[in-house]
Amino acid sequence: MGTKSVINTDRLYWLGRYSERVYTTLRLFGKSFDELIEQLTEADYSRFCSTLDIPNIYTDKDDFIARYAFDLTDPNSIISNLTRAYDNAIELREEIGSETLSYIQMALYSMQKAKEDQAPAIEFQDVTDDILAFWGIVDDQIDDENTRNIIKVGKRVERLDLYTRLRMNRVDINREVQRLAGRIDRCSLRYRTQSIIELLDAVQAPELDYPAILKSVESILEV
Amino acid sequence: MNNLDLLDRTDTINGLLARYGVKFGIYKNGTFKEQLFPFDAIPRVIEKEEFAYLERGLKQRVAALNLFLKDIYNEKKIVKDGVVPEDFVYAASGYLVPCEGVTPPKGVFSHISGIDLVLGKDGVWYILEDNLRVPSGASYPMIARELCRRASPRTFNETAIEDNRNYARILKHTLDYVNTGGLSVVMTPGRYNAAYFEHSYLAEQMRIPLVTYSDLEVENDYLYFKGYAGKRERVGAVYRRISDEYMDPMNFNPESVIGVPHIFDVYRKGHVALLNAPGNGIADDKGIYYFVPKMIQYYLGEEPVLHNAPTYLPFYEEDMKYVLEKFDTLVLKDVAEAGGYGVVFGSKMTKEQKEKFIAMLKAEPRRFIAQEVIDFCDIPIQDRGQIVERKADLRAFVLTAEEPVVWKSGLTRFSRNPDSFIVNSSQGGGFKDTWVLSQ
Amino acid sequence: METLSFHYHLSICFDAPVHDHHFTLRCFPGSDERQRIDRLQITIYPNEFFSDSFDSFGNRCIVGRAGQPHTHFSADVTGDAVTGLSDRVPEGNPWREHLFRQQTQLTWPDEELVSFADSLPTYSNPLDTARAVMEAIGKKITYTSGVTNVDTTAAEAFLLGKGVCQDYSHIMLSVLRHKKIMARYVVGMLMGEGLSHAWVEVKDGSGWYGFDPTNQLLVTDQHIKISHGRDYRDCRINQGHFYGLGKQTQEVSVLVRRKEAVTA
Repeated sequence: MGTKSVINTDRLYWLGRYSERVYTTLRLFGKSFDELIEQLTEADYSRFCSTLDIPNIYTDKDDFIARYAFDLTDPNSIISNLTRAYDNAIELREEIGSETLSYIQMALYSMQKAKEDQAPAIEFQDVTDDILAFWGIVDDQIDDENTRNIIKVGKRVERLDLYTRLRMNRVDINREVQRLAGRIDRCSLRYRTQSIIELLDAVQAPELDYPAILKSVESILEV
Repeated sequence: MNNLDLLDRTDTINGLLARYGVKFGIYKNGTFKEQLFPFDAIPRVIEKEEFAYLERGLKQRVAALNLFLKDIYNEKKIVKDGVVPEDFVYAASGYLVPCEGVTPPKGVFSHISGIDLVLGKDGVWYILEDNLRVPSGASYPMIARELCRRASPRTFNETAIEDNRNYARILKHTLDYVNTGGLSVVMTPGRYNAAYFEHSYLAEQMRIPLVTYSDLEVENDYLYFKGYAGKRERVGAVYRRISDEYMDPMNFNPESVIGVPHIFDVYRKGHVALLNAPGNGIADDKGIYYFVPKMIQYYLGEEPVLHNAPTYLPFYEEDMKYVLEKFDTLVLKDVAEAGGYGVVFGSKMTKEQKEKFIAMLKAEPRRFIAQEVIDFCDIPIQDRGQIVERKADLRAFVLTAEEPVVWKSGLTRFSRNPDSFIVNSSQGGGFKDTWVLSQ
Repeated sequence: METLSFHYHLSICFDAPVHDHHFTLRCFPGSDERQRIDRLQITIYPNEFFSDSFDSFGNRCIVGRAGQPHTHFSADVTGDAVTGLSDRVPEGNPWREHLFRQQTQLTWPDEELVSFADSLPTYSNPLDTARAVMEAIGKKITYTSGVTNVDTTAAEAFLLGKGVCQDYSHIMLSVLRHKKIMARYVVGMLMGEGLSHAWVEVKDGSGWYGFDPTNQLLVTDQHIKISHGRDYRDCRINQGHFYGLGKQTQEVSVLVRRKEAVTA
């Protein structure tokens, strides 16, 4: 397929971003959930929220477990982000293929099942599996390089954004910056070269300036 | 028929249908919901010879309907020769004046025709209605077949069935045939349309873009697909799944916010093909239905192969007499669609209702048609582990490029409710695959 | 026979910029058996894209798009018209023209209008009937502007007993069609009239004859025809579809003058 519409370009990018956001936050939440079982404190999930730059609207740890994972009315919940991934994917069937789309659909079904379950961690694993399979099939079955790369750029941008917020170490940040810089030229997305240069410089600096990196990440795409 | 293995896998197949998002959208209390379209694994089976008969009849019918459309928007010989009274044309809601004098690319009006049939207990197939505007439903048996084959390969190894997964290929050919130069696209009103799954699935299977109004624009008599970063490409064929009324606010409903302004002007100049052609509503009008067998005789000089349900037009004195005599045994349909009386059974009216209705019938005879109530064959479905019989119809698809081609399958819809004649999917019904035997 | 010069002017002001403004203009008189148009000049602003077209009634249209933001839109059409070359316009496809016997949403008669129509004579010659109908409407309706609008139906205007040229024409169409006579709505320009005008054409044999019920006149050489259709809606001079929050004010002015005799 040659010409791609403006809206589908946007959807592919955000499909990449939201799938990554669900994947990474789910992993973090899984870790917290494990701790929650006996000793997670208010301070812990409050730190979790501030790291991710989301408002701490939760009344106690049970509320946090229930709502951060499953509350559709909470725009920052994992299920809300997964729903956004799905909302983008469902309108991309002819771009990515029914087979690829089905993994996002299944991730959503698993998430809905997890909501009903006393031991949601099992279904969380299914969600994670589905997203990993989704990325796998994006690589394996989407023939159009541009389509594939727009999704992957979305994923890279999101990961870099999250890792920066989480103050991950230089090795991790550097790896993500290199991956993004190598990918972004290989698709039709219009981006600011300056932002990429800033990022490449930032990872060389003696001290990582996280807020500056975040600013560069946020300004990559031309609006 | 030995397809126990397939029946055992009903849940698996429905699981797969869910996985691939085979859904339809409905509005319940003002909010949009996606619902799975329940699949019943017992196929409707049509023997090879029987389908050959249907095929002959359907081709003939669609050929005549296409000729009718061409005639009615141009010369109007059928009106001139007194076969169809002019009132049934000019006063019909489906007749669109802007289409006067416009002949679509290659002269094809009804590219995709969905013809609804029922099998009577007398063993006769009856045409219930023709759908020549935006008939939907082909995608469901198409993907169901794919998944049934996956779930129960044995069944398909043991039975010789025509493969129905060629639908997208036939459809793509239909688009290519009338394409005036440029891309072919599927145009959808959007995700919240009931048939959105089908729009996206057909676009995927044909490997062409799925677009909405905002992706298209008209400039200097041509239609373009607008791409990212200022790229754009000419469009030569639009398989539009949006009704005539909403297609172009400059030529039809000015309130439409999901149409492409001036797309009809481009079409009028022959610079883009619209599938199906605008104005087709005149040919699938309930009043015009009565005349389809006459059209077949008039245009093709042939006897109709397939039967209409016995229909009477109170517009004709003789028929009015019959209708009044047999009122209690007939079903009456209001030809005026919006705000009309809909479908009523003579036997189900109170004395008062009947009197009121007859007065209206006499005042506006053109507005109604009357039909014999067909006693149609029930077909088996699975219901909570049991096999029960339910009402069902069949939508056959006829695609017209060089000539009409009948897709060797069809959408079989059934009602869950044992008392219901309505096989509408939004009323809790489900669907079946339709097998046409190849031996 | 007359030689008239005309100037049709349409301007629309938007109080805030609009963009992607699609328009269809239907304000271009054409030559037929009754009138000949010379020196036609059309000026449209903004003129990014537009092209010529004809609608299904054969009326000339200009369809176009002004993509860039703008607050002003105008069309000016000037030319000369030699009128009164014939008292009729020839028919087109006769079977297609049967549709002019069908009432439309705007002409559909109510009981009042039906009984009015039935009270009027029907002669064997439709033109005689038309003349009688025109006269009866003239007596029944008082010309009054501002009491009706573009969506007023024939029945509503008849009930009011008041209206403008559009209402006179719709009532006349309603009555004639009730009598199974083919009649159509005409938009045009009239000498001495500062706005666009509307009248009626009635079919007799293979030709169409103009009646101006507002002025109780047969259409001769003072009228310049622009377009015809089933009713007002088919003849809208300007249709637009745009994006933006601007409210629009539309202004139309028409000037038709007798052209000083110029020896050719």
